[in-house]
Amino acid sequence: MLQTMLDKNSETPEQGPKEIPQNTMVKGIGVSVGIGIGQVALMERLVTEICPCRILTPEEIPGEVARFEEAVENAEKRLKTIKSHIDSDHPLEDHSYILDTHILLLRDKMLYEGTKRAIEQGRQNAEWALSEVMSKITAAFDSIDDEYLRERALDVHFVGERVLKILLGVSSEKKIYQLPASTILVSHDLSPADAAQLKKESVLAIATDVGGRTSHSAIMSRSLKIPAVTGLEKISKLVKTGDTIIVDGSTGLVILNPDAEMIFRYRQRQELLRNYHQSLLAFGRLPAVTSDGGREIRILANIELVDEVDIAIAHGCEGIGLFRTEYLFLGREDLPSEEEQFEAYRAVVALNKPYPVTIRTLDIGGDKIASSLNLPLETNPAMGLRAIRLCLNLRNLFKTQLKAILRAAHYGNCRLLVPMVSSITEVHDTKIILQEVKAELASEGTPFGEDIKFGILVEVPAAVAIADLLAREVDFFSIGTNDLIQYSLAIDRLNEHVNYLYDTLHPAVLRLIRQVVNAGQAYGVSVAMCGEMAGDPVNVPILVGLGIDELSMNALSIPLVKKMIRSISYDDCLELTHHAFQMQTAQEIHDFLEKWIFEKFPGDYFLSQQ
Amino acid sequence: MVLESELLEKTVTIGNQLGLHARVATSLVQTMKRHTCQVTVAKDGMEVDARSVLGLLLLAATPGAELIIRAQGPGSREAVEQISKLLENNASDHVG
Repeated sequence: MLQTMLDKNSETPEQGPKEIPQNTMVKGIGVSVGIGIGQVALMERLVTEICPCRILTPEEIPGEVARFEEAVENAEKRLKTIKSHIDSDHPLEDHSYILDTHILLLRDKMLYEGTKRAIEQGRQNAEWALSEVMSKITAAFDSIDDEYLRERALDVHFVGERVLKILLGVSSEKKIYQLPASTILVSHDLSPADAAQLKKESVLAIATDVGGRTSHSAIMSRSLKIPAVTGLEKISKLVKTGDTIIVDGSTGLVILNPDAEMIFRYRQRQELLRNYHQSLLAFGRLPAVTSDGGREIRILANIELVDEVDIAIAHGCEGIGLFRTEYLFLGREDLPSEEEQFEAYRAVVALNKPYPVTIRTLDIGGDKIASSLNLPLETNPAMGLRAIRLCLNLRNLFKTQLKAILRAAHYGNCRLLVPMVSSITEVHDTKIILQEVKAELASEGTPFGEDIKFGILVEVPAAVAIADLLAREVDFFSIGTNDLIQYSLAIDRLNEHVNYLYDTLHPAVLRLIRQVVNAGQAYGVSVAMCGEMAGDPVNVPILVGLGIDELSMNALSIPLVKKMIRSISYDDCLELTHHAFQMQTAQEIHDFLEKWIFEKFPGDYFLSQQ
Repeated sequence: MVLESELLEKTVTIGNQLGLHARVATSLVQTMKRHTCQVTVAKDGMEVDARSVLGLLLLAATPGAELIIRAQGPGSREAVEQISKLLENNASDHVG
């Protein structure tokens, strides 16, 4: 069978577009397991399509021209700021001229004067005028034979979109429109907000140019059970809408232009995996008690959307350990009302009754952006004004959310989880606001959950260090491993240059977890874990051995994790943990755990990696 | 004596391996910022303003292509000089 491996980095500017040979494989990072076979829906940067079109009255024209000029000026300032952050020793220094190009493009007469002319003579509103000029320029680029030069149309797009977004007052998110049913979504990138709009039924798989294993879009595609491969670098340029491709989320391979035999082979693998997952589902209904009866771990699900509850329950979750609420706030211009939030929270709480639903208060800022909040851009958002810091700052927004959560708590078992706590003061301040909100609800006569459990997400190293102090203030801890690892190992997990250092099983991480468990046990506070780490089969025995009470994970991982816990003994887990704590490197620990699991669960281990 | 009102014309061949690409176009426009004269660049009957990155890119000038620089106004001689140097320079700039 003819197979070609495409070199992702090959630049062939002197050549025109070429036919892609049959069974061409492109290697990326498999971030969500499973196989998707189908037709491509290429998602373009669609901001131009949401432009309002309006004919101006003659009196409006000068104001509209000024508005356009101001938007260009803002875009220019922003680009100059970005450029000023690139020092001579910055890895991107060599490419920083492209920012100069973009800055010049903003005022290029074809774009700038062309748009002003369309406003003045065509009486078009600025957005309409600009997007029309952009498409004319892009069309001109499309007819160029030289591939490299043709791709400069993208630069026009980036620049134009930047101005359009300022004019529209929207955040830098793409809108995912109604995708045709059963397609493979191919895009340059996928923001969490994009991913949040995906519908499991219409997307067979996802393939993107950029992104890594722990980007939010990767996490979301896992939780939506959509096979996904990222880091393919040029996939969005290699395929067109309608092409047939295969996306293998386990191996990270994408096969372009597959022949009948290749499709048949992948269909067979798809079937094998489906049967395996089907057979695992039975374990979802059983409790996760170790084989010696020494310990029972509660297994809960992480969700972001109300729609995910059904999948989570079908996989055997005992409640929701992490309900991320950001998605109610993302991809929209305004803030969700108390009523809207209440309906969403109540739905999840009611569906899970009598099991608990842990609602995390707004964890926005960082890499998530709510257009409705008009947050200033920060140079280091991960350490900026986000999560509880932002909520304590935007008190009305926080109170609205707390009200909605407290009201939902009336309809079942609900817990409040506060993210990114780094001091006792934040806990005190939050509790004061919580009391205020309760008093307001009581005076309104609105029913609410008076005895809601109060917990914090332990994800900042400072919180681990003062876990003993925090334990006296809260009802439960939940360890957020994604951020804890990022903060403690000083690794930006979205930075592809350092994310190889992102080691879940770093001895430092394990010691931090142990410290939190010890503090929890000393004060009778239960300790949960809700990061990606909690759902990875490799980590199960050590997490049991560490004494975690509750694991919250992607729903799909639940049956296998339950099956594993049911067939290992608590004593073995303790011994294994003791052993792992003698080891010095993450690699050593990982290899040790993998070998242990492989020996105990050869079949599952193999198939769970598929 | 230099006749600044005179229309200067010079034909150059693209030396860069990648043609008139974004980096060259950007330097060219930046160079033009130091001049007040009118300068155009033409290829196969298509003539664009040397102050427009888009125009220059849309010439789709691949390596070896012949371009005609036309300039008129104060400092035009110097401008033509600098621009032809940029276009003819065969340093193997890489794609950004």
